[in-house]
Amino acid sequence: MMSFDVLFNQFLSGIARAALLFLVASGLSLTFGVLRVLNFSHGSLYMLGAFVTYSVWKVLLIPVVGFYIATILASLIMGLIGILIEFFLLRRLYARGWPEQLLATYAIVLIITDIVKWGWGGEFLSIPRPPPFKGAVFLFGFPFPSYNFFVILLGLILVIVLWWLVYKTRLGDIIRAAAHDREMVSALGIPIPWLFTWIFVLGSIIAGLSGAVTAPFGSIALGMDIEIIVECFAVVVIGGMGSLPGTLLGSFIVGQVYAFGIMFKPELALAFIFMVMAAVLIIRPWGIFGRPER
Amino acid sequence: MKKVSIIILMLFVSSLLVIPMGFAQTKPAPAKKPVSKEPVKIGAIYDFAGPCYMYSETGMHGLRIAVEEINSKGGFLGRPIEVIVRDTEGKVDVAVREVKDLLLREKVNFLIGPCSSGTGLAMQVVHTEYKTIRISAIANTEGQTVDKFSPYFFQVVPNTYMEATAATRYLHKKVPTAKKFCTINPDYEFGRREAAAFTEEIKRLVPDAEILYEAWPKFGEKDFTAFITAIMAKKPDAVHSSLFGGDLVAFTKQAAPYGFFEKIPFIALYDLPVLIALGPDAPEGTFAFARGDFFQDPNPKMMAFVDKFRKARGTYPDGWAVMNYDAVYLLKAGVDKAKTIETEAVVKALEGITIDSLRGTFSIRPLDHMGTVPCYQGTIAKDPAYPFKIWKDITRVPGEQVVRPEASVREIWKKTGVVR
Repeated sequence: MMSFDVLFNQFLSGIARAALLFLVASGLSLTFGVLRVLNFSHGSLYMLGAFVTYSVWKVLLIPVVGFYIATILASLIMGLIGILIEFFLLRRLYARGWPEQLLATYAIVLIITDIVKWGWGGEFLSIPRPPPFKGAVFLFGFPFPSYNFFVILLGLILVIVLWWLVYKTRLGDIIRAAAHDREMVSALGIPIPWLFTWIFVLGSIIAGLSGAVTAPFGSIALGMDIEIIVECFAVVVIGGMGSLPGTLLGSFIVGQVYAFGIMFKPELALAFIFMVMAAVLIIRPWGIFGRPER
Repeated sequence: MKKVSIIILMLFVSSLLVIPMGFAQTKPAPAKKPVSKEPVKIGAIYDFAGPCYMYSETGMHGLRIAVEEINSKGGFLGRPIEVIVRDTEGKVDVAVREVKDLLLREKVNFLIGPCSSGTGLAMQVVHTEYKTIRISAIANTEGQTVDKFSPYFFQVVPNTYMEATAATRYLHKKVPTAKKFCTINPDYEFGRREAAAFTEEIKRLVPDAEILYEAWPKFGEKDFTAFITAIMAKKPDAVHSSLFGGDLVAFTKQAAPYGFFEKIPFIALYDLPVLIALGPDAPEGTFAFARGDFFQDPNPKMMAFVDKFRKARGTYPDGWAVMNYDAVYLLKAGVDKAKTIETEAVVKALEGITIDSLRGTFSIRPLDHMGTVPCYQGTIAKDPAYPFKIWKDITRVPGEQVVRPEASVREIWKKTGVVR
């Protein structure tokens, strides 16, 4: 009854959603993989990144490239904020338990929410799609927004960069070693605190970047932080906490389950995602590509 | 050194926390003439969180302008009005706690608010128990006036039934041949009720109407792509929606590249804040409904308010500010008529009262305390007079034409156990 092109089009919608989720979740997963901190405030940096992008874009008012410059600046600003958060707060909590880390990062969520209310007044804002991604391209006679291709492309670039960084560089060797046994790495004379700071900064830059990229895609509004973080938790739980391929697979699964859920049983589309998550938790609690906690 | 930096950070963080709260919490309306008499207290309870934050803020601006005007002319029966603002944080438990605090500790005489239909229904139980009047100017679920009727509740915003019925009639007038419909509504109290009212009305207007597909994105959804492709695959003749705010902005931008607005007649809550946020992305020719943004009812009284609002805020007033302004004046009319601020007398006075508001005259239906306020519909269009798009072909549907008939209200009351 459903023709191929309709299903294919829905599949593409799912891929676009997966790309967006991957952008955000990869930063969350990276931070967790190395620092072993579940960073609740990742979504807040994503939201702040979107608001900052808007303001920079508005101030610059440069046609065509204004948005891209704003994206880069906003990502870097989020990186700076990441330094502050790691240096003043998280660094003091690594030795403590999970509840304290969660509380501390949740405190950042509340602080950033109030910063946004204070700075932007809580209005919802919007950036038009930047050229050359304003229109649509046609696939099998169906239009597909070209900006979604940009998001997918960016997701792919991020996969490659992160993969190269983690698996092909000396820094990556250290990162993986630190994730495995931080005492040993420290004993080899590698300054773990600074490694952790830079990983957290990288995670924050990714959060800022994904927020910036979402800005022309949808709307910039209060509440987008919590909305995204819940779905990202589903992604990393399904794929496996701290695993790059896991995050990729998790994003793909969540994107597709949601897209086809919407098509066939819209009332339950969200429930399907969490059913998959529950199933993974029962069968493989550490996620598809994750490894059991020692 | 480390200690110092921590202290600096703590000071920085706490200052950030204090400043916005200072703005939101206290700022008593300045009484022009200091009257020695005890003030009349209005508790303004709003949801300063998430998507409701912006509506609550702009609503408060309208409320304050009305209070300032009334205070400069002697307040309520010669007593100045004092406004106490409280924040529900968008949570029902906080809403209940804050309303109790307003009633018991602050001893407010009246309540205005909130924004969310969810917190509105939650607080209704409390202020009804303590026999204090509340007026809603933003939260508009019909549950407040019909299903869970309270004698101490009044509404000056068109409820979900009125709003969706009026919007459905406009859509039908614009596309009379449409028979196959899809709907897309936020998945909570408000969206569910708007969808139900649309379905009811369209089946009345087009007996062989067919609802092909109902989409329920969650409130705050960021990516509507999959909903858009699913709707377009069904090839509907028209689509009804009650998406609003940031959700509608996101939906519109994501649907545009698909040629959605050229292919499918669509109606949704394209109010002033959405049109401003969308800017050039607002789809001309698409249908809209809203609750009284200034350009929808440019009567002299409204335009005087526009001038005042622009002087104070530097922006044009949206419907949320307009309705809150009207809420304060409804209260004033009730108090003036009752010649006291005593609750039972004001309730009596408000039943059947007619006021001349920013949105023209409306009255309070004695049956369920629903204001017969107008609903507005139009078609998005450019206007050189404004830096944002507004509407053309505007219709103003008086509340009397779309409010749920008494027999139907009584039928629901039979089910929910309301005796009146």
